[in-house]
Amino acid sequence: MTAEELDIQLFTTAIKQASGYDFSNYSEKSLRRRLAKVLMDNKMDLKTLVAEIRKNGQFAEKIVKEITVNTTELFRDPAVWQAIRYRILPYFKEHKVINIWHAGCSTGQEVYSMLILLNEVGMLDKARVFGTDLNSDVLEVARKGVYKYRFNIGYLDNFDKVIKENPYNYEIFYDVPYSKYFEIDKNKDLITMNKFLTEKAVFKKHDLVQDDNIFPCKFDIIMCRNVIIYFNYNLQNRVFQLFHESLYPGGYLILGMHETILGPYSSFFEKKEQFYVKKTT
Amino acid sequence: MKVKGFMAKTENIGYKAVIIGGSAGSFQVVTNILQSLPADFPLPLLLCLHRLKHVRSGFVEALSLKSKLPVIEPFDKDAIKPGKVYLAPANYHMYIELGNRFALSTEETVNHSRPSIDLSFITAAHAFQNKLIGIILSGANKDGAYGLKVIAEMGGFTIVQDPNQCEMPTMTDAAINLFPKHNVWTIEKITNFLINLK
Repeated sequence: MTAEELDIQLFTTAIKQASGYDFSNYSEKSLRRRLAKVLMDNKMDLKTLVAEIRKNGQFAEKIVKEITVNTTELFRDPAVWQAIRYRILPYFKEHKVINIWHAGCSTGQEVYSMLILLNEVGMLDKARVFGTDLNSDVLEVARKGVYKYRFNIGYLDNFDKVIKENPYNYEIFYDVPYSKYFEIDKNKDLITMNKFLTEKAVFKKHDLVQDDNIFPCKFDIIMCRNVIIYFNYNLQNRVFQLFHESLYPGGYLILGMHETILGPYSSFFEKKEQFYVKKTT
Repeated sequence: MKVKGFMAKTENIGYKAVIIGGSAGSFQVVTNILQSLPADFPLPLLLCLHRLKHVRSGFVEALSLKSKLPVIEPFDKDAIKPGKVYLAPANYHMYIELGNRFALSTEETVNHSRPSIDLSFITAAHAFQNKLIGIILSGANKDGAYGLKVIAEMGGFTIVQDPNQCEMPTMTDAAINLFPKHNVWTIEKITNFLINLK
């Protein structure tokens, strides 16, 4: 792999001019790695890629989609979802409305995880759940709520842990069938989310790098998991500012298992276990 | 003494980090190495070990039991500090960024693995250049072979656990086949080498 020698700036400049997307504040190592992968997948060297990006806007859009990482899982990190279920959601139980934003939601599995959880605790009706991503292709997948069974079969264990078991009382077992939330078709290799979930979710295009809060409301919970790991310190800071402005006081910011708030915004949040709560003053 | 002469040579190089990759059959080996290392071990020790998909917690605790050095699963952008053992977190790739920091990624699996030893090794090689010691232990797939070669090509010091000693020699064999010039050592020799690093 010769990605290390490549001129990243040449690439980010060309992309910015052709598509408006700005990757200059992405984390260096992952961007190099993604670029190397894109070059390999497209069987191009950097010079050809940059030239193609400059003369073909659609190609530039395609490369933007390939550069971004789109991995996600149903109930990734069950312990986090158990904590959301038993520690965070009860706090909003008496609220009339609960607004939730999944920033960088990719193909939407976390949005559906949240909707399923909300339904289990009887809060779905008063919830407004939004998922955003900069990649319109993944959003289209998210809207349909149809996934490969084979790639997701491992995550049914996660479902069991979060939905059927109670970590605080092992004698409790909720016998919730998968069919309550999705249909599994092993022959077609598909998992299809039930209609009441896909109709409830709202997916919109949003770029964390440059867009403000595009919703006409503030949020009680913002989930942004394993997204800021791809951003450098400066860009992370911008995103924390956006999240801080977009949360109600007392609102929760939920990051990935190995993400933290570094820098000035850490003092505007109180850390509760692995979650960040926006301070009231 | 042979070892002493050799150590004198490595001392001058001023290594900045040790990175170890392993899979099936490496847990006990790593535990033994950690048990042997002194509390004042002078370098960061980076571990990229495959683990079973559903055994995501408890690994740090198990490794910590006998280690005199703190064992940590790093957070994204954490600084890499000497005298600490860093274990690639479950279900993340662990990159080493310039500026002595970690970067985590949830990119697709590589060689069916996340963390990928190749990715940790390659990024460490670029970050530490010839100041890096790379070690491949027992394992049942080929992850790490390419990464160890990159470390060697960047001038780093590379060691492969003697395949005769491995519970699963696929990984060590792959590393040696791809680049025969690695040092092939027994665990005793590897441990002794690490203990004597200054």
